[in-house]
Amino acid sequence: MELLYKNIDEPGLNTIAVYESHGGYQSLRKALAMDRADLIQELESSELRGRGGAGFSMGKKASFLPKDKMDKYLVCNADESEPGTFKDRELMQKNPHQLIEGLIIGAHAASANCAFIYIRGEYDYVADILDAAVAEARAAGYLGDNILGTDQSLSLVVHRGAGAYICGEETALLDSLEGKRGNPRLKPPFPANQGLYQGPTLINNVETLSNLSHIVRMGAKAWSELGVKNSSGTKVVSISGNVQRPGNYEIELGIKSRDLIYGLAGGPPDGREVKFWFPGGSSAPILTAEHLDLPYDFDSMAGAGSMLGSGAIIVIDDSVPVVDVALKLATFYRNESCGKCTPCREGTNWTVHMLERIDSGEATPMDLDIMASVQEHITDHCLCVLGDSMAMPISSMIKYFRPEFESHIEAARHRNDLGAPPSPHPVEAVGSAAAGPYTSVA
Amino acid sequence: MPRPEQKMVTFTLDGREVSAIENSMLVDGAKCVDVEIPVFCYDAKLGQPVGACRMCLVEVEGINKLQTACSTPIREGMVVNTESDRVKESQRAVVEFLLINHPLDCPVCDKGGECPLQDITFGWGGGTSRFIEPKRHFQKPLALSPLIAIDRERCILCYRCVRFSQEVSEDYQLILSERGAHSFVSTFDGHPYVAPFSANIVELCPVGALTSQAYRFRARPWDVEGSGSICTLCPAQCNVTLTVRDERVLRVLGRDHDEVDDGWLCDKGRFAYQAMHVGERITEPLLRDGGELRPVSWERALQSAISGLTKAAGRTGAVVGGETTNEEAFLLQRLMREGLDSPDLDSRPGGALALDLHRALADPALSATVVDIEFAHAVLVLDCEPVDDAPILDLRIRKGVRRKGVKLAVASSRPSSLDANATLSLRFAPGAGEALVAALDAALSGTGDVDGLAASAGADVDQVRELAALLSEAGEDVVVLWGERLAHGPRGDHAVRGLLNVASRLKLASADGAGLLEIPSGANGRGLRESGLLSNAGPGLGEPGREGRDTPAIGAALAAGDLTAVYLMHCDPVRDFQDRGLWNRALSKATTVVAHAGYLTEGLIEHATVIFPAEAYAEKEGTFTHPDGRIQRLRPAISHARGVRPEWQVLATICKAAGLEMTFHTVPMVFRALVDAVPFYADLTLDEIGGRGMRWQQTAAAANLPTASDRAPYQLTAPPAALTPNGSLRLGTYRSIWAGSEVAVSPALKFLIPHQQVELSPDDAKRIGVGHGDRVEVTYDGAAVNAQVTLRAAVPTGTVFLAEATDSQPANLLTNGEPRLVEVRPA
Amino acid sequence: MTEVRRFTHGSRIPGWDDAVDFSKDPAVVPDAATTPVPEHLRAEIEEYMARYPDFRSASIPALRAAQREHGWCSPLAIEQTACVMGLTPGYLTAVGTFYDMIETQPSGRQAIYVCTNISCSLRGGDAIYSAMLEAAADDSDLNVRHFECLGACDIAPMASVNGEYVGPLEPSDCATIIADVKAGREVLPDKQLRRRPSAHTIAKQES
Repeated sequence: MELLYKNIDEPGLNTIAVYESHGGYQSLRKALAMDRADLIQELESSELRGRGGAGFSMGKKASFLPKDKMDKYLVCNADESEPGTFKDRELMQKNPHQLIEGLIIGAHAASANCAFIYIRGEYDYVADILDAAVAEARAAGYLGDNILGTDQSLSLVVHRGAGAYICGEETALLDSLEGKRGNPRLKPPFPANQGLYQGPTLINNVETLSNLSHIVRMGAKAWSELGVKNSSGTKVVSISGNVQRPGNYEIELGIKSRDLIYGLAGGPPDGREVKFWFPGGSSAPILTAEHLDLPYDFDSMAGAGSMLGSGAIIVIDDSVPVVDVALKLATFYRNESCGKCTPCREGTNWTVHMLERIDSGEATPMDLDIMASVQEHITDHCLCVLGDSMAMPISSMIKYFRPEFESHIEAARHRNDLGAPPSPHPVEAVGSAAAGPYTSVA
Repeated sequence: MPRPEQKMVTFTLDGREVSAIENSMLVDGAKCVDVEIPVFCYDAKLGQPVGACRMCLVEVEGINKLQTACSTPIREGMVVNTESDRVKESQRAVVEFLLINHPLDCPVCDKGGECPLQDITFGWGGGTSRFIEPKRHFQKPLALSPLIAIDRERCILCYRCVRFSQEVSEDYQLILSERGAHSFVSTFDGHPYVAPFSANIVELCPVGALTSQAYRFRARPWDVEGSGSICTLCPAQCNVTLTVRDERVLRVLGRDHDEVDDGWLCDKGRFAYQAMHVGERITEPLLRDGGELRPVSWERALQSAISGLTKAAGRTGAVVGGETTNEEAFLLQRLMREGLDSPDLDSRPGGALALDLHRALADPALSATVVDIEFAHAVLVLDCEPVDDAPILDLRIRKGVRRKGVKLAVASSRPSSLDANATLSLRFAPGAGEALVAALDAALSGTGDVDGLAASAGADVDQVRELAALLSEAGEDVVVLWGERLAHGPRGDHAVRGLLNVASRLKLASADGAGLLEIPSGANGRGLRESGLLSNAGPGLGEPGREGRDTPAIGAALAAGDLTAVYLMHCDPVRDFQDRGLWNRALSKATTVVAHAGYLTEGLIEHATVIFPAEAYAEKEGTFTHPDGRIQRLRPAISHARGVRPEWQVLATICKAAGLEMTFHTVPMVFRALVDAVPFYADLTLDEIGGRGMRWQQTAAAANLPTASDRAPYQLTAPPAALTPNGSLRLGTYRSIWAGSEVAVSPALKFLIPHQQVELSPDDAKRIGVGHGDRVEVTYDGAAVNAQVTLRAAVPTGTVFLAEATDSQPANLLTNGEPRLVEVRPA
Repeated sequence: MTEVRRFTHGSRIPGWDDAVDFSKDPAVVPDAATTPVPEHLRAEIEEYMARYPDFRSASIPALRAAQREHGWCSPLAIEQTACVMGLTPGYLTAVGTFYDMIETQPSGRQAIYVCTNISCSLRGGDAIYSAMLEAAADDSDLNVRHFECLGACDIAPMASVNGEYVGPLEPSDCATIIADVKAGREVLPDKQLRRRPSAHTIAKQES
């Protein structure tokens, strides 16, 4: 089933004329004719789950906004920065009006009168395309005051970021959109109550909003029958890494992971096998070859101890040392930590140091235990999920590949001629009274 | 606007049922029952919690994840556990994380012994660290400003200091640069962090990363004692704790009082303690001998003063500055009125105000408190600049606007630092305050010639109407914060009648949270008036017996030879008052000039015959009255510097010599006499005033305030029209927070001494043909001030501003208290 | 045992070891009367400020405009932006240093970002970065940086050349890219992402 990617490569689809020739903006008319409560009900019953990573019910999120009359905001999260994710870029570049139509429908549902698309600064050329599309939509009367003669008014500004992964976190995005450093905010209050400019705010991912015109067109029931239970609809999956045909594929959720990686993307280069893979961007705990036969949907990925996340699959083949990936990953999160909360700022940095020592052979197996314990101390203790986004995959790598970490240390020790390893010492939990040679008194 | 209601609820904390204020944060609620939850980034003073340090994680039943106690509001029936293994492990983890890059240099760290990080590490940390990588090392300490040193190794990035700069003082100079583990506290492009409230960050810092340049390595916490008192450098009278070692004040810390200072101090209050221990301070009596001031014995100085004053007797005047306590004021007015039989005494530099108006202004129903500023629907800042005149109120106004949505209007001649926060900023010609309030009164009442009056004020009539609309529509709680200078000059009575009319149109007397709040020009301005230091009022704003001369008239009478002696209590009219020329003539003509002073200033050097050393405020005992009527106690923290005697005793000695019966042995005895003389102070006792002060309006005796015979609305007379520039420029003056002897002699603050600068609008500068930084001469009738041009886009065209009380070229070379037009030309 | 590597962060970050300069005045909001701003820059920033309910939202677009004007967000560029926006230069420095694309240290005008995140590095992104550095070594106007995931793993290894996404790259492409940039030509037209059909479409056509 093709929804979002239908006609995706048709020349000129990014213009309003071609988009409308395929029935574009008809769903908007239908939605605007609907009562707000009915529209929210429709979105809720479609069981559309957010496509940005958290997978929260879109309709439910829209229903959380207060009903009182006041300035409300809709923000489209187009700060697609999760490593391995590139679906929103293609959706915005090739079919911007699909997003804009969905966004207006979403604004109607939330009765928001002011909308923003926060697009990452690196996507400048995509932002140019969006700007042009917004101008077209405005000229056609789909944006502005009293859209198509209804009481729904909406202003839409495409806001370009300037390069910070953390701004994909919704509250950091709001701070950034307010012209501040992109630091995540404490929750509660949640954006639905106090978001942008302290007003009620609905924040949705590009792909989520791009789905709305299809839900309205097909009806929630027909749409929800796509895919499997709890993972309804189609999903654009970005597959990258060691595969032969990396790229975006629109699928119905629930298909076998193997069919995605080997079928659509062609699997690893000849002679190589899948060693492990991230099922939902680099923040998702890794899965291994043994998980390839799991259905690719929200529940199955969660059941395997990982998550579907943004639907970005990164495949690593058996030629790649796990330590390299761990170090790359930890370094990324260290660099992108905003620095606001202690466990993330210090924990990511510490993890990088430990991995550097592991990579150069200066570490001992005890360091792996300390590293695992540090990941535990990061998890659930941070202000936002960035810290967890490093801690969870790193923990999972230690879990699945501890012997490789150990042999990596050994090999590097010999290679770098570091002599015999220090004698092993029992690992103590933080705060224990015993102090080994690696334990400096605080 | 309504104050938040405080409802008590019951919740369970570590298995105990405890009651706390609903919706207060868990951290604060726990404190009330002696459970300490460790925090670094949280401080209630800083506003909304940010939950950044993660030190205060606790377990709340029903919520899966650990919650930050700093941001979790207490609700009925909540079950909280701060001692579970999960909580303890998270606390140990956070301490371990924080210590990763924190150097363990406690033995040489200034914070050692009073360091939250140290305490929390001992109390909640694991005692060990598994971090074996090298810690980072940087240059340290580095200067952040001449007042503050920064040690970036020690910084734990708790955000307190930058939040202060950005969300409390709103100077937004101190920032966090870079991101993540690279983040560091800094400023734009190496500019120093210099702002009126900058050093609060030293007190806020929970580690030794920000230290006071003046206090570094001066003492350890166990070497010092803290002594509570108040700061007497300005009318804000912030509550302070003086850090004392070996009879020297080494530091001033805030003593949080949310009804006075909200826990903050300005840098002047924080560092001017140094002025107590400098060579410039006068610590022995001086006598003019052969044209020179020379140190003499107390006996000789007292003898000279007594003989000079008693010889002049009824031809003596007294002019009093704001640092005088109520007790000293009470004694001095007795000396003048009863001992010397002279009614010529005043504490208002700008001349007398009708007694009836004093009483009307003091009406408790019409008086606003400091807290009212924060909760008002609207605040009008009228003819004053809070950051210069009573700095800490500037922060209170910002807080109200930022956190409570107070609508702020500023009506001033000079662009205000609050303009950016104001809903409306209105400019009027310097000295045209009377016309401005008259115009506002007309706009509010809907009668009278608003256009004509606004023109007389040199203000935009539309803005006057907008201001009237803003004030009348904002809600019933309107606070007018006005500067004494509005009531200065011969037409002061008219200006105050206009102000009282505005108050009555807005019905300020009938709303609890509304009223007038005057910033007097002297720190204890209000107390001096209520203690009887007015030419036309005795203690308690009572009938004076015989009405005397006010400050300008005393100057004129001295110059004319009608008075021959003058008592200058804590003031130097030549430096401080508008009419420098008059006071130079007056003092040189006087045969006896007795002064109490801490430092030699130009007028005293030139003219004083006897100078008694003034006590430093840390040496002094007595009471002060805050602008909102709060009587506060000044408590001695150190013994007197050698050679300095309590000034009340000096006054008492002179009183005795002048034939008065003096039965006082202690300051509290004088206070008792004062209370007996001031009917509306009758319910006050020193015990009740205690460490927090007490507003006399809140006592039953407030009803004893003599009532005004005539009430607003008054029939106003036409105010004089503002001068038309016509090629010359209107002269406005202002007094910087940094003007004053205390700043000039304190080594730490010397760099802030204000130098004269000529503030010009770009249009006028272009017309005159000068640019930013050029030297110009500002002249009036042959007198000239020579200084550099500072271009400011916000200065209204046709006006030029000069600073008062600068080290050289002060504005009062050109002024006499009346509006003037001056010429500006390239020098 | 070899020596443990020293901490490689912090003291190498510009700023950590810097004290303030007492000869400078405190950095308050720059006064319009003493801060000349190019008219077109002022107009652009004011246009951004008008777009948002709160003008401060314009700080990132405004900084990027100032960066285009000055080549990088120099203190002068920040002062001008601060003056137009009525903010302190500190505010904008705090914002600017947070974001990777705002250059608060002198840098070249031509932004060449090479992705070295996981997906690209699995396909040789690090080698592309080295080759790019080498190819650009002699020109200070070229700002070659390794960058976090640029969101184009379908053309890994890839680079963003003045905003144009190109890939998959071979190390040998780097010299061409640099030559194209120097000559002001379109960069690697046949490797531009915007001209590439999606993998989804190709798979559909093949099946």
